[in-house]
Amino acid sequence: MPIHEKHLIEKQKIIQKDSAELEGRDVSGQWNIFIQQRILSQYHPSMADEIASTPDGRTINRCWQCGTCTSGCCMHTDFGLREFNPRYFIYLAKIGDEEELKKYKDVIWRCLACNKCVERCPKDVRVEEVIHAIDGYMRKKGWMDDTPASRWDDEYVGNVLKTGILDEIMLLRNYIRDEEMKEFNAGYMMRMGMNMLKTGRLRTGPIRHRTKGWKKVRKVAEEILEKDGYELQ
Amino acid sequence: MNYSEGELAFYPGCSLDGLGKAYKKSSELVSKDLGIVMNEIVDYNCCGATEVKTVSYDLSVFLPGRNLALAKEMGSKAVVAPCNGCVFSLGRANKAITEDEATKSRMNEYLGKAGAPSYEGDVEVKHIIEVIYQQAGLDAVRKRVKKPLTGLRVACYYGCLYTRPKIYTGAGSGERDNPEHPHFMDDLMEAIGAETVEYPLKTVCCGGGHAIADREVSVGFSASILNEAARLNADFVVTMCPLGQMNIEANIPMIEKQYGREIVRPVVYFTQLMALAFGHSRREARLADNFSDAGKVLHSKGF
Ligand code: SF4
Ligand code: SF4
Repeated sequence: MPIHEKHLIEKQKIIQKDSAELEGRDVSGQWNIFIQQRILSQYHPSMADEIASTPDGRTINRCWQCGTCTSGCCMHTDFGLREFNPRYFIYLAKIGDEEELKKYKDVIWRCLACNKCVERCPKDVRVEEVIHAIDGYMRKKGWMDDTPASRWDDEYVGNVLKTGILDEIMLLRNYIRDEEMKEFNAGYMMRMGMNMLKTGRLRTGPIRHRTKGWKKVRKVAEEILEKDGYELQ
Repeated sequence: MNYSEGELAFYPGCSLDGLGKAYKKSSELVSKDLGIVMNEIVDYNCCGATEVKTVSYDLSVFLPGRNLALAKEMGSKAVVAPCNGCVFSLGRANKAITEDEATKSRMNEYLGKAGAPSYEGDVEVKHIIEVIYQQAGLDAVRKRVKKPLTGLRVACYYGCLYTRPKIYTGAGSGERDNPEHPHFMDDLMEAIGAETVEYPLKTVCCGGGHAIADREVSVGFSASILNEAARLNADFVVTMCPLGQMNIEANIPMIEKQYGREIVRPVVYFTQLMALAFGHSRREARLADNFSDAGKVLHSKGF
């Protein structure tokens, strides 16, 4: 019997026999694969409620598990990372399966916010926001550390709050430095830098657009972040 | 719907002030040629892109909300943004404010404290391509062409967030573009004499959201976007998304190394090609801004 979404089952739980007999008849080839029973141990009935109470996760309970989001998901289908399965993440969050969800701690941050899932969901689940709510929940519980994406977002927010608009050169520079990304070596940076310099696009620091009255706006922004329990890096 | 003078506000966003200069300059040329007048929102701030919303929902509505409130105060009926990410954030803020009373009152409290006018979520959000398409129209574009780009094959790459999701962008309703199979850019490119290819990756993600944070994905998607254009014999990939343009072009050195030079195609803004067709020079269309050799490709095609 073919097993759909086989990658969701741990390999050691799949038992395949060379031959199988049923009431004296050889049924191998059809009925010789079994899945061992799994017992949920780390089960949090409050997980779904907690996620549903956040603004990002508020639509989680609308999900009826049709799988439309996963079928077209950029990461799952276009990029081909089968472990990235938004429908399954929502399922696990709804049943509160900590143990299983933890297996995806190196995967869930890779959502690209492309919003194909939100476009297509028949139940108006804001899937992409819900995925980020689950990701945020897992980090808050300490089940996973900060991720490359969350570090990028931290850097981004700090950058924008300085003057009101993004200084993309500083953002890139700081992130590449902090993550020690070898790929962007001196040669690459020189090539890009020269091109931007030549074409007058190396705009960073005080020559960028400024938002007048930003100080006042910034104060409100900081209050909002404090209310949401976010610490500026 | 057509807007009269003074009803369109322009929101440049962050990228047009820096890396997207070619987009800014060429958009200005094209709008001017077509008689589209927009008033820039003076003290605009960053829309928060897709980054701020993973940190705080309220902040991710407040930041774009402030821009919309400023536009409203200027008497605008619609805000025009040239960037898919901005169109998404601004549209999402409108939806958040109109669909939930509690969010609306929180936002107005924040806006008040920040010295901004109050806002009801009632300024429309438009991508600049929609304004060119609807306000000027294909006939006006055709009439304005001085040097048709005959013989140039282009693959139109729209990116993710221009129409997606329709609950934020209004895609598919009224005269707006189709959410899953947009065609405005293809129509415009044909109107300036270029030939468009049937490009299946029109709305695929380029990985730009994680351009640096997830290199495997960003290089992978960029390579497939170029590879598909090359397979279809396109000379250019044409786009309307500053993040996509930057992401794909900045990945070209890695793509050349991993997949070979043959698949590389220059990625240009649709307004750059329109400016050329309207008779502006390559210099005015800022083709030298591209990391890839857009000028060389044009030259080889006899332009
Ligand atoms: S498309 Fe919507 S309803 Fe269907 S599984 Fe995904 S989130 Fe649930
Ligand atoms: S937004 Fe995230 S979950 Fe949704 S389709 Fe894109 S990558 Fe998949």
